[in-house]
Amino acid sequence: MKYLLLLNNDADEARSWRALSKDETRKVREQEIPRWNSLMSWMAEQGIEATGLELENPARARVVRVRDGQTVVTDGPFAETKEILGGYFLADCKDLDQAIELAQRVPLVDTGSVEIRPLVTH
Amino acid sequence: MKVVALIYGDEAGWEALSDEEAKALDAKHRAFQESAGSKVLGGAELAPTRTATTVRIRDDQTLVSDGPFAETKEVLGGFYLLDCKDLDEATELVAELQEATTGAVEVRAAYEEES
Repeated sequence: MKYLLLLNNDADEARSWRALSKDETRKVREQEIPRWNSLMSWMAEQGIEATGLELENPARARVVRVRDGQTVVTDGPFAETKEILGGYFLADCKDLDQAIELAQRVPLVDTGSVEIRPLVTH
Repeated sequence: MKVVALIYGDEAGWEALSDEEAKALDAKHRAFQESAGSKVLGGAELAPTRTATTVRIRDDQTLVSDGPFAETKEVLGGFYLLDCKDLDEATELVAELQEATTGAVEVRAAYEEES
Protein backbone atom coordinates (compact mmCIF):
# COMPACT_ATOMS: atom_id res chain seq x y z
CA MET A 1 0.00 0.00 0.00
CA LYS A 2 1.44 3.33 -0.99
CA TYR A 3 1.19 6.35 1.24
CA LEU A 4 2.17 9.96 0.83
CA LEU A 5 3.60 11.29 4.08
CA LEU A 6 3.41 15.06 4.20
CA LEU A 7 6.08 16.45 6.49
CA ASN A 8 4.80 19.66 8.03
CA ASN A 9 7.06 22.01 9.92
CA ASP A 10 5.88 24.39 12.57
CA ALA A 11 5.57 27.66 10.64
CA ASP A 12 7.25 29.79 13.33
CA GLU A 13 10.14 27.39 13.57
CA ALA A 14 10.52 27.31 9.79
CA ARG A 15 10.60 31.12 9.76
CA SER A 16 13.31 31.20 12.40
CA TRP A 17 15.46 28.78 10.35
CA ARG A 18 15.35 31.16 7.44
CA ALA A 19 16.87 33.88 9.60
CA LEU A 20 19.93 31.70 10.25
CA SER A 21 23.25 32.23 8.54
CA LYS A 22 24.65 29.55 6.23
CA ASP A 23 26.93 28.23 8.97
CA GLU A 24 24.14 28.12 11.52
CA THR A 25 21.88 26.36 9.02
CA ARG A 26 24.59 23.77 8.43
CA LYS A 27 24.92 23.20 12.17
CA VAL A 28 21.18 22.74 12.66
CA ARG A 29 21.11 20.30 9.75
CA GLU A 30 24.10 18.36 11.06
CA GLN A 31 22.39 17.91 14.41
CA GLU A 32 19.43 16.32 12.64
CA ILE A 33 21.51 13.88 10.58
CA PRO A 34 21.65 11.03 13.14
CA ARG A 35 17.85 10.98 13.40
CA TRP A 36 17.42 10.98 9.63
CA ASN A 37 20.03 8.24 9.34
CA SER A 38 18.29 6.10 11.91
CA LEU A 39 14.99 6.63 10.06
CA MET A 40 16.65 5.51 6.82
CA SER A 41 18.18 2.41 8.36
CA TRP A 42 14.86 1.53 10.04
CA MET A 43 13.12 1.79 6.65
CA ALA A 44 15.79 -0.41 5.08
CA GLU A 45 15.37 -3.01 7.86
CA GLN A 46 11.61 -3.00 7.36
CA GLY A 47 12.02 -3.26 3.61
CA ILE A 48 10.07 -0.06 3.06
CA GLU A 49 10.74 1.45 -0.31
CA ALA A 50 10.43 5.19 -0.29
CA THR A 51 11.35 8.27 -2.23
CA GLY A 52 11.28 11.69 -0.70
CA LEU A 53 12.03 15.30 -1.23
CA GLU A 54 12.69 18.37 0.82
CA LEU A 55 11.01 21.51 -0.44
CA GLU A 56 12.47 24.97 -0.84
CA ASN A 57 11.46 27.93 1.29
CA PRO A 58 7.63 28.24 1.14
CA ALA A 59 8.00 32.00 0.71
CA ARG A 60 9.12 31.21 -2.84
CA ALA A 61 6.06 29.09 -3.58
CA ARG A 62 3.68 30.18 -6.31
CA VAL A 63 0.01 29.42 -6.63
CA VAL A 64 -1.30 29.04 -10.15
CA ARG A 65 -4.95 29.43 -11.11
CA VAL A 66 -6.56 29.67 -14.52
CA ARG A 67 -9.79 31.63 -14.65
CA ASP A 68 -11.60 32.53 -17.88
CA GLY A 69 -8.58 31.36 -19.85
CA GLN A 70 -6.22 33.69 -17.94
CA THR A 71 -3.40 32.35 -15.81
CA VAL A 72 -3.30 34.08 -12.44
CA VAL A 73 -0.14 33.57 -10.40
CA THR A 74 0.04 34.59 -6.76
CA ASP A 75 2.72 34.21 -4.14
CA GLY A 76 2.29 31.07 -2.14
CA PRO A 77 2.01 28.94 -0.24
CA PHE A 78 -1.58 27.99 -0.93
CA ALA A 79 -2.62 27.65 2.68
CA GLU A 80 -1.48 30.04 5.41
CA THR A 81 -1.46 27.70 8.34
CA LYS A 82 0.38 27.11 11.59
CA GLU A 83 2.21 24.26 9.94
CA ILE A 84 3.77 24.35 6.56
CA LEU A 85 4.71 21.59 4.14
CA GLY A 86 8.47 21.13 4.18
CA GLY A 87 8.82 17.87 2.31
CA TYR A 88 7.38 14.47 1.73
CA PHE A 89 7.96 10.77 1.63
CA LEU A 90 6.23 8.50 -0.85
CA ALA A 91 6.46 5.16 0.91
CA ASP A 92 5.28 1.65 0.21
CA CYS A 93 4.20 0.36 3.63
CA LYS A 94 2.58 -2.90 4.74
CA ASP A 95 -0.35 -1.06 6.26
CA LEU A 96 -1.38 2.14 8.02
CA ASP A 97 0.21 0.99 11.28
CA GLN A 98 3.58 0.73 9.63
CA ALA A 99 3.07 4.15 8.03
CA ILE A 100 2.28 5.57 11.49
CA GLU A 101 5.43 3.96 12.86
CA LEU A 102 7.41 5.56 10.06
CA ALA A 103 5.76 8.93 10.80
CA GLN A 104 6.79 8.69 14.46
CA ARG A 105 10.42 8.39 13.39
CA VAL A 106 10.46 11.50 11.23
CA PRO A 107 12.64 14.09 13.01
CA LEU A 108 10.16 16.97 12.72
CA VAL A 109 7.22 15.02 14.20
CA ASP A 110 7.90 16.37 17.68
CA THR A 111 7.53 20.00 16.61
CA GLY A 112 5.38 19.75 13.46
CA SER A 113 3.27 16.93 12.11
CA VAL A 114 3.26 14.11 9.61
CA GLU A 115 0.05 13.67 7.64
CA ILE A 116 -0.42 10.26 6.08
CA ARG A 117 -2.49 10.08 2.89
CA PRO A 118 -3.14 6.77 1.11
CA LEU A 119 -2.83 6.88 -2.67
CA VAL A 120 -5.59 6.01 -5.09
CA THR A 121 -4.67 2.97 -7.11
CA HIS A 122 -6.18 2.60 -10.54
CA MET B 1 15.37 21.76 -11.04
CA LYS B 2 12.87 19.52 -9.37
CA VAL B 3 9.52 21.12 -8.69
CA VAL B 4 6.56 19.70 -6.82
CA ALA B 5 3.15 20.74 -8.12
CA LEU B 6 0.55 20.39 -5.37
CA ILE B 7 -2.96 20.10 -6.72
CA TYR B 8 -5.64 21.65 -4.52
CA GLY B 9 -9.36 21.56 -5.11
CA ASP B 10 -12.81 21.32 -3.64
CA GLU B 11 -13.10 17.78 -2.38
CA ALA B 12 -16.91 17.78 -2.46
CA GLY B 13 -16.69 18.71 -6.13
CA TRP B 14 -14.31 15.82 -6.90
CA GLU B 15 -16.50 13.35 -5.09
CA ALA B 16 -19.58 14.58 -6.94
CA LEU B 17 -18.03 13.79 -10.35
CA SER B 18 -19.97 11.25 -12.36
CA ASP B 19 -18.09 8.19 -13.62
CA GLU B 20 -17.94 9.82 -17.01
CA GLU B 21 -16.54 13.08 -15.65
CA ALA B 22 -14.01 11.22 -13.54
CA LYS B 23 -12.88 9.26 -16.59
CA ALA B 24 -12.59 12.47 -18.59
CA LEU B 25 -10.44 14.01 -15.86
CA ASP B 26 -8.20 10.90 -15.79
CA ALA B 27 -7.86 11.13 -19.57
CA LYS B 28 -6.79 14.77 -19.23
CA HIS B 29 -4.09 13.76 -16.78
CA ARG B 30 -2.83 11.09 -19.13
CA ALA B 31 -2.75 13.66 -21.95
CA PHE B 32 -0.89 16.10 -19.67
CA GLN B 33 1.67 13.41 -18.81
CA GLU B 34 2.12 12.54 -22.46
CA SER B 35 2.60 16.12 -23.61
CA ALA B 36 4.90 16.98 -20.70
CA GLY B 37 6.91 13.82 -21.42
CA SER B 38 10.18 13.58 -19.52
CA LYS B 39 9.30 16.68 -17.50
CA VAL B 40 7.00 14.53 -15.40
CA LEU B 41 9.14 12.52 -12.99
CA GLY B 42 6.32 11.17 -10.89
CA GLY B 43 3.12 11.93 -9.13
CA ALA B 44 0.18 10.48 -7.32
CA GLU B 45 -3.52 10.84 -6.73
CA LEU B 46 -4.52 10.87 -3.07
CA ALA B 47 -7.48 9.14 -1.51
CA PRO B 48 -10.06 11.48 0.12
CA THR B 49 -8.93 13.41 3.20
CA ARG B 50 -11.25 11.36 5.44
CA THR B 51 -8.70 8.56 4.99
CA ALA B 52 -5.90 10.81 6.27
CA THR B 53 -4.10 10.22 9.56
CA THR B 54 -2.01 12.90 11.24
CA VAL B 55 0.80 12.00 13.62
CA ARG B 56 2.45 14.28 16.17
CA ILE B 57 4.70 13.70 19.14
CA ARG B 58 4.42 16.13 22.05
CA ASP B 59 6.17 15.60 25.38
CA ASP B 60 7.14 12.09 24.23
CA GLN B 61 3.48 11.18 23.68
CA THR B 62 2.41 10.09 20.23
CA LEU B 63 -0.85 11.71 19.14
CA VAL B 64 -2.60 10.09 16.21
CA SER B 65 -5.65 11.85 14.80
CA ASP B 66 -7.94 11.14 11.89
CA GLY B 67 -8.13 13.61 9.09
CA PRO B 68 -5.77 16.13 7.56
CA PHE B 69 -3.90 18.60 9.76
CA ALA B 70 -5.66 21.57 8.22
CA GLU B 71 -9.40 21.66 7.73
CA THR B 72 -9.86 23.68 4.59
CA LYS B 73 -12.45 23.72 1.83
CA GLU B 74 -9.81 23.15 -0.80
CA VAL B 75 -7.67 20.17 -0.07
CA LEU B 76 -4.59 18.49 -1.49
CA GLY B 77 -5.80 15.92 -3.99
CA GLY B 78 -2.58 14.91 -5.65
CA PHE B 79 0.76 16.07 -6.90
CA TYR B 80 3.24 15.90 -9.73
CA LEU B 81 7.00 15.85 -9.41
CA LEU B 82 8.34 17.86 -12.34
CA ASP B 83 11.73 18.46 -13.84
CA CYS B 84 11.76 22.07 -15.03
CA LYS B 85 14.25 24.76 -16.01
CA ASP B 86 12.75 27.11 -13.45
CA LEU B 87 9.52 28.01 -11.70
CA ASP B 88 8.34 29.91 -14.79
CA GLU B 89 8.38 26.73 -16.82
CA ALA B 90 6.61 24.88 -14.01
CA THR B 91 3.97 27.63 -13.86
CA GLU B 92 3.31 27.32 -17.59
CA LEU B 93 3.12 23.58 -17.37
CA VAL B 94 0.68 23.37 -14.46
CA ALA B 95 -1.59 25.98 -16.05
CA GLU B 96 -2.49 23.15 -18.45
CA LEU B 97 -4.05 21.11 -15.64
CA GLN B 98 -7.82 21.08 -15.46
CA GLU B 99 -7.59 21.54 -11.68
CA ALA B 100 -5.91 24.92 -12.27
CA THR B 101 -9.21 26.10 -13.77
CA THR B 102 -11.33 24.99 -10.83
CA GLY B 103 -8.94 24.86 -7.87
CA ALA B 104 -5.31 25.86 -7.58
CA VAL B 105 -1.89 24.36 -8.15
CA GLU B 106 0.98 25.34 -5.88
CA VAL B 107 4.48 24.98 -7.29
CA ARG B 108 7.35 24.48 -4.85
CA ALA B 109 10.95 23.97 -5.85
CA ALA B 110 12.92 21.20 -4.20
CA TYR B 111 15.57 22.28 -1.74
CA GLU B 112 19.04 22.30 -3.17
CA GLU B 113 21.98 22.57 -0.85
CA GLU B 114 24.08 25.64 -1.54
CA SER B 115 27.64 24.73 -2.18
